Amino acid sequence: MSLDHPQELLKPVSLRFVWLTLAIALLLELVPLPVGRARFMPDFVGLLVLYWAINQPRLVGVGTAFTAGLIADIATAGLFGQHALAYSATCYLAQYRQRQLVMLGLGQQSLVVLGLMLCNQAIMVLARMATGAAFVGFAYFLPPIIGALLWPLLTKLMLLPYRRG
Amino acid sequence: MEFANTPSFFRHGPSPAARLTVCVLLSLSLLVADSRFGLMERAREAMSVVLYPLQRAANLPVSAVRHLSDFFVAQATLKEENDALKNHALAQKAEIDRLRAAQADLAELRKTHALSASLGGGGQIAEVLYTGRDPFSHKIIVDKGEDAGLSRGQPVTDDGGLVGQVTRVQPLSAEVTLVTDKHQMVPVMLERTGVRAILYGYGGGVELRYLPMGADIRPGDRLLTSGIDGVYPSGLPVARVERVDRTSSNAFVRAITRPLGGLDHGRFVLVLPVRSVPPPPPPAVPAPQTKAGK
Repeated sequence: MSLDHPQELLKPVSLRFVWLTLAIALLLELVPLPVGRARFMPDFVGLLVLYWAINQPRLVGVGTAFTAGLIADIATAGLFGQHALAYSATCYLAQYRQRQLVMLGLGQQSLVVLGLMLCNQAIMVLARMATGAAFVGFAYFLPPIIGALLWPLLTKLMLLPYRRG
Repeated sequence: MEFANTPSFFRHGPSPAARLTVCVLLSLSLLVADSRFGLMERAREAMSVVLYPLQRAANLPVSAVRHLSDFFVAQATLKEENDALKNHALAQKAEIDRLRAAQADLAELRKTHALSASLGGGGQIAEVLYTGRDPFSHKIIVDKGEDAGLSRGQPVTDDGGLVGQVTRVQPLSAEVTLVTDKHQMVPVMLERTGVRAILYGYGGGVELRYLPMGADIRPGDRLLTSGIDGVYPSGLPVARVERVDRTSSNAFVRAITRPLGGLDHGRFVLVLPVRSVPPPPPPAVPAPQTKAGK
């Protein structure tokens, strides 16, 4: 439904596909990486939740974001509820202005996504610090930038299976 | 919070704001529950079973790449590694040899020390420095001399048996004449029968001479010091009978024996104190007589 190709009609997206992409994103986060490099990995699950929240608001809402966040919590062995809290909050923020966001070009969308992802990280940092963890440093806010840079690529990739041949 | 231009005839369920409130409350309670009661531990235990295949799947490409890169190791790298490993092995071999030698030394020292204790603790442990250069004289040089209080005549033994006798004492070293030396004689007795005899060195070994034809001696008999000379303590093993010649052309039995002490091997020997002072001189009775005579 991206307005990148306004005249293009896409196949309907099934909920099953949404969850499949989320599972793949989770898989990507589980890939064992060298210790130093793992922290540059963008939060793929958060990115996808935002993508679906912006492009398929009928299918993906705050509830889905919350569930995806819970699964991410378990997979990354974080604090229970930190991803869930962050994802549901940013999902709500994205959907609050969803009609406007869909109208924006990919570059501008990337900027908005950067803000939302930074918001994600900020909520998680606050949640961790509220439960007594020390501040982990500003490198923690690097993945959102990479994630925002990947946003146009992600959008193109997600549209691929739904083009009508 | 209602979205703009949402047709009102669709059923949407609770509004996004309400859902957000519920979700936020839920996750906040989860956060508190986790940080207070360790909820995550139990949840992970349960979920790890479900997540395990996912983790394995995520690991799969990484391990495949690792296998592949292992397979395509450059020849040069292999060669280099092989050389380094060989060098390492060589160095370690030398180290092990050194260790083994040290271990053997230690075992010998232990045995010598035990012998010293069993003989009343009177001996001194000495290390063999070198053997005499002259092949005709059977002597070894040990690293203790006058400085350690050694004196001529002290018997020298090791854990196998009698080695010889101290014959010359220098300030820092001493010369030990082995029992195989041509001028060395040891009073012995047969362990089995108690028959006394004298063991003669003849250069290359030791032999028993002047045993009567009828003497009861067999190969395998052990010869011990008899202790009647006042030099050697009694009961030290000296030699073992190897062969007994009873030829009618000889007047005596000839027994070839092999010394038991480590004459040509071993690094540590025990120098024993001379067992007793020489017998006291006869009483000086003639002295007053001479005086009277004058």
